[in-house]
Amino acid sequence: MIPMKGGSLMNGKKVFIGLLSLTFILLAWVAPSSSAVKSPYKIGVNLEFTGPWAEVTKTLKMAMTLEVDRVNAMGGIDGHPLELIMEDNGFDLGRVASNMTKFARDKEMIAVVGPFEDNLQATSRSIAEREKITNIIICPSNPMVRGLKQRWAFNIAHNDIIVSQKLVDLCQARKYKTVLVFPGAWPLAQSLAKNFKAFGEAKGMKVIISEESHKPTDIDMTPQLTKLKPIIEKEKVDAIYASTAGPPAAIICKNLRALGLKTPVIGTHGFGFGFIIELGGDAMEGVEFGAGKAVVPDQLDENDPVRPIVIDFDKRMKAKYGVGADQIAGHAYDAIWLITDALKRSQGKVTRSTFRDKLESTKGFKGVMGIYNYSPTDHDGLVKKDLVFIRIEGRKFVRVKLPGFE
Amino acid sequence: MTPWAYIPQFLSSGITIGAIYALVALGFVTIARASQIINFAQGEFVMLGGMITFSLLHHVGLPYPMAAVTSVFFVILVGFLLYLLVIYPLRKASIPILLMATLGASLFISNSSSIVFGPLPKALPPFSGDEPFLIAGIPVVPQSLWVLGATFLLLFFLYHLSHKTLLGKAMEASSTDPLGADLSGIWRSLMVFFAFGVSAGMGSIAGILITPIFYTSYSSGTLLGLKGFIAAVLGGWGKNSGAILGGFILGIAESVSVAFIPSGYKDAVAFIILLLILHFRPKGILGSPFIDSRRW
Repeated sequence: MIPMKGGSLMNGKKVFIGLLSLTFILLAWVAPSSSAVKSPYKIGVNLEFTGPWAEVTKTLKMAMTLEVDRVNAMGGIDGHPLELIMEDNGFDLGRVASNMTKFARDKEMIAVVGPFEDNLQATSRSIAEREKITNIIICPSNPMVRGLKQRWAFNIAHNDIIVSQKLVDLCQARKYKTVLVFPGAWPLAQSLAKNFKAFGEAKGMKVIISEESHKPTDIDMTPQLTKLKPIIEKEKVDAIYASTAGPPAAIICKNLRALGLKTPVIGTHGFGFGFIIELGGDAMEGVEFGAGKAVVPDQLDENDPVRPIVIDFDKRMKAKYGVGADQIAGHAYDAIWLITDALKRSQGKVTRSTFRDKLESTKGFKGVMGIYNYSPTDHDGLVKKDLVFIRIEGRKFVRVKLPGFE
Repeated sequence: MTPWAYIPQFLSSGITIGAIYALVALGFVTIARASQIINFAQGEFVMLGGMITFSLLHHVGLPYPMAAVTSVFFVILVGFLLYLLVIYPLRKASIPILLMATLGASLFISNSSSIVFGPLPKALPPFSGDEPFLIAGIPVVPQSLWVLGATFLLLFFLYHLSHKTLLGKAMEASSTDPLGADLSGIWRSLMVFFAFGVSAGMGSIAGILITPIFYTSYSSGTLLGLKGFIAAVLGGWGKNSGAILGGFILGIAESVSVAFIPSGYKDAVAFIILLLILHFRPKGILGSPFIDSRRW
């Protein structure tokens, strides 16, 4: 403590005014909570509202607002409404860290949702761990962060392991014997490629991981693909697996077709965004991948346990915003309802640590993306059967059913 | 398979992207020849060309050729506005200050376009089908030929403008000898104004040409602008022929380099070439009318 020298010089009047204003401030602060409505549970949202992912996070924001309003209209959690505090991190590591710290220092904050991008999650997770606040991350976990066994971070997207297993199933159903992988140069894309090789070779497939890779900013992959062309022809490759997400997905398909290669392309769940079809145009026809159920809300099985939830959510999205549910909106739904579910099970005794424990003990929770089961060893929640096979046909996502591999 | 076997394919993709670098480089040179200003917003003209065409095509519903032509006019307008709002008020400031101003304008344009058009990347349909055909065993997309054809037409137009017309000569005079230009009654501000229009128009055409092959997003102008600038310096800063040569050399070198080194280093190749050239031949390959004893 620094001794306040000036204090002794202060005259009585000043002290009085100071105390009076302090009383008013305190009164003003306490007053609202003394009304009938119980204090809200505050959830921080730390997302890329500006920058390259602005359009994607706009969907997240819309869907989250929609669901929070619904939770509150249904009476909240034992009368406590949910309140979202949104902060933009501008796709910038520094701002991710400062938002996260700001949220963590707010004593009323129960949990933080976000960031969205893979390369921002390590920072956010480590702050969550230090400050002991639950962090729900939208993107899949990667092996690097999974290895840290962090207690406070949870992922809600399908992880690289189950996506790779699903793709091996796809290859087996389509009788692809030799597959060439063209991975992106970032950790998640690399681990998708490695897992695919491991699971594929266990099933007797030949998987070649290309030495060439690509960056998310590459606008022309022709040079890399030209180098792969002789391999494709020599090894009689049955399919090319583009282990990537976002715009590169469309560029790879376009460049492959421009090189005169007709080899089928398979992709990751990062292909399940409508704008990729617009970017790639005709080159995307026939591309197959495994993705979350929200990509094809109207094509799910009659007996699918999450079908009513997806259809209902899709309807409400269309009614309020005029756009249907997609993979991104699905993540927003799951984030909000996982939080609500865990809060409800806390039965009024909500602290940061009880919330974390309740979220970790989530069992059989039905979301839009599938059925979540968290445990101390599994912070990813979803399993392989929460993915569906999707094919791009007529510039639309069409669900394909492969008997024996569902 | 030896690396040499890939060379023909790399050449064909290198020439396409080289043509685009050449157009961007020419945009830089056109403005530099009229005013000695380095306009770092040049890449944004390329981005705007693609973006505006896309929204005219999909949101306004104009037919493709109309959308392309209208978007060129819009971008020329942006070029004029850039001059009137940024360059003209600062005309008495020194060159480095103008350079910073254009850099600021570039950030402003790219971020506004992310707000207006949205941050997701956009692609245009190819002008005439996307089925590749074989030239000497190398698959080539028809759009590449469009790029090359349009580039040569533009080069011809620019050559005609700068060597055969009074306007072009007046534009060049206002940079090489400002006092002489003033004495001959050339309105120098008007010349720079025109130069901005010409270079904006050229940038936007480059943007419309490449968007069907690659794609365009609000942030794609920055790197293209930088590469175009490198091409212009490489060939000889301030020379039209240098810009063209530099553009093609850069495009081909970048593409062919992938045959010998991992593709991750592709973007670095441009900068390494630039450093080497500046070290051994500071005036660029063809020599520069600006980089000489007169200024340095």
